[in-house]
Amino acid sequence: MAAMSLLLRVAAAWGARRAASGASGSALLPGLAGAARLPGTVVPVRHSSGHGKRMFIIKATSFYDTRFLNLLRFYIFLTGIPVILFVTYVNIFIGEAELAEIPEGYVPEYWEYYKHPISRWIARYLLDPPEKNYEKEMAMLDVEAKKTQMRLLELEARRLMRQRGDGPWYHYETPDKNLIDNSMKATPDN
Amino acid sequence: LPEDPDWKAYKVPPTRTPVSERITSVPNPVNIFQTVFNYVVDAPVTFIREWIERQQAKNKFYYYHQKFRRVPDLSECLEGDYLCYFEAEAQWRRDRMVDQEIVEIIRERVGACKQREGPNQLQNCAKEVELLAQVTKAYQDRYGDLGVHGNARSCLMKQKHRMMEEMKKKAAASQ
Repeated sequence: MAAMSLLLRVAAAWGARRAASGASGSALLPGLAGAARLPGTVVPVRHSSGHGKRMFIIKATSFYDTRFLNLLRFYIFLTGIPVILFVTYVNIFIGEAELAEIPEGYVPEYWEYYKHPISRWIARYLLDPPEKNYEKEMAMLDVEAKKTQMRLLELEARRLMRQRGDGPWYHYETPDKNLIDNSMKATPDN
Repeated sequence: LPEDPDWKAYKVPPTRTPVSERITSVPNPVNIFQTVFNYVVDAPVTFIREWIERQQAKNKFYYYHQKFRRVPDLSECLEGDYLCYFEAEAQWRRDRMVDQEIVEIIRERVGACKQREGPNQLQNCAKEVELLAQVTKAYQDRYGDLGVHGNARSCLMKQKHRMMEEMKKKAAASQ
């Protein structure tokens, strides 16, 4: 490297850039004179009449980067291409629905309110009808409302029974007053 | 693809540029570009589109706009009737979405009018602009500052305050 002149070093850098661009993109002109042939490039030199000087170009490894990008492309296209083909088929051959007025006396099904055929299919076979969802939410609200009401009634009953003392709650058993032995307090000098 | 390419508000009146006499013998390049575009782009695209539409016409199906029944309003619900609250709230949200779409349509009309008229827009679009001003004022009055957590109840309270302000103003004006 120390013996290499400045000119050869510049030519090697240019050759490295061409090799990098040739390796990352597709090989545009493989027959071009001075094309990259691993390991290294042929660098054009003045007065060399067609033969260049073969240089060994030292650059950082691109093995991991290319492997990552290849794997990324592979796994994306593995499911991406079937999905794209399927959606294209549906869009071309089945097509979207047309907007129409609701005919007299006809109640449309809940999936007939969507335009795209895949949305219609999902609404029909995978999701619940929105009426069922609505009723489920109303049922939940109803249960919670009844629970609230019961809790309020219970609190009111407890308050009244504690206050009036004539209910089954807050009923503390006291012994009969006839069982009390008052002999200790019967005379004043005890 | 546009939503409705035949919409009335977007109809541009026919241009009144006069047909001019040819002065030079050089052909109009615009005609050349038009014919080239027709043969290279327009014809194949139209052919493919018509083929696609023929495929799709074999099994037609339709979709409809859902019509919801009107349920009792929040002001007609008894206190503590949470089911009534829920249905009134759902109806109020649907009505708010409809009102948003109405405002959007009127905005689009103003935009279309401005595009159509070009330099005369201040004069010729005055009606549409006035209508947009009225509609946005009405929307702002009803749904305006409720915020992101606005619900039917806060809207009802806002309406109550508006009515109180009106009555106060009437009482102050009649005095």
